[in-house]
Amino acid sequence: MRKTDDMEPRDPLFDAMFDPLRSEMDTLDTPRGVETELMQAFARQFPRKRRWYQALSGTDWMLGGSVAAAALALAVAVPMLAPPARTGAAADGGKSLLARDDDGGMFIALDSLERIEQEPAPRMVETEVPRSSLAALGVPLTPDNAGDAVKAELLVASDGQPLALRLSAVN
Amino acid sequence: MGKRTHTMTASATFPADTDLLRQMRSGAADAFAALYRRHQGPLYRFALLRCGAAEIAADVVQEAFMGLLTGRFQFDPLRGQLQHFLFGVVRNLILKLEEGRRRYVALAEDDDEDAPELPDDQACPLGRLLGNETAEQVRRALSLLAPHYRDAVILYELHELSYAEIADVCQIDIGTVRSRLSRGRAAMARRLVAWHKPDMVQA
Repeated sequence: MRKTDDMEPRDPLFDAMFDPLRSEMDTLDTPRGVETELMQAFARQFPRKRRWYQALSGTDWMLGGSVAAAALALAVAVPMLAPPARTGAAADGGKSLLARDDDGGMFIALDSLERIEQEPAPRMVETEVPRSSLAALGVPLTPDNAGDAVKAELLVASDGQPLALRLSAVN
Repeated sequence: MGKRTHTMTASATFPADTDLLRQMRSGAADAFAALYRRHQGPLYRFALLRCGAAEIAADVVQEAFMGLLTGRFQFDPLRGQLQHFLFGVVRNLILKLEEGRRRYVALAEDDDEDAPELPDDQACPLGRLLGNETAEQVRRALSLLAPHYRDAVILYELHELSYAEIADVCQIDIGTVRSRLSRGRAAMARRLVAWHKPDMVQA
């Protein structure tokens, strides 16, 4: 802005003469196309770095999707098929009966790890267990849920002996 | 000082130009857009009054910002405001165009009578853009000034730059600014009075 020390006294007539031109000029701006061209030039000057997922082709996406789906299926299937003794506290030789498994369900070993691992033909039986009967095994029990049944998968030996219990919907 | 109801120069705003320039150099498109929107108006209006042709004014403003973007025109914040630097850039670009045109005209007159006509400044005259009659008369008087007087008058009267700032833009000393401004204003006043004389006689 203009400094007062290098100004000459203004001529009011001259000022008034310029006022209409100032008003008219104030309405004029550079045509919009100039900004568009400049922004295009800017984009050329600073090309955006593509993110890793933008660099993948359609084939890559299909292949990746298939691999991900297979991995997800394995992640779901393996815990169901593997001997339950591999998870949680039962793996430490039966020192603790109660553990949480990876899916947030509760796993209860009813026999030792050796017995479970040596069982030649275990089978899985789906059942429902009264929550009140599980309180002694550490399952949380409140007056509100005392009458509930808990969905469970029971691992049973070939001779009918229960080996382990997995509670899939404790909470 | 007469009261100004309009100013054609952008006032100090935030973020500062230097911050926007730094962001622009690191690839921030919005910083570049903000700089452009902040300064394009005054630069375009200066260029328009200086050369009288909207298309040339737009080209010159575009070239100035393109130079800022590519580093062709290097702004040093220690030497003043960005807008004054850009005024200087625009002025130099116009001078270069005028110089080229003068050379072309001289060559064409000497050697080739059938040479194509030069782009005419009046092809898109500023007068057409200005609706007000008084504004158009002042603009016409301004356009008839010698370019070095016109620079000083436009920057002082319409963009409110100080003598020192005009000296910086035009790369001349303050005494020269003062004399150019004084002569330019006197020439304009004489012309405007002369145009109004017939009206005064009739009255």
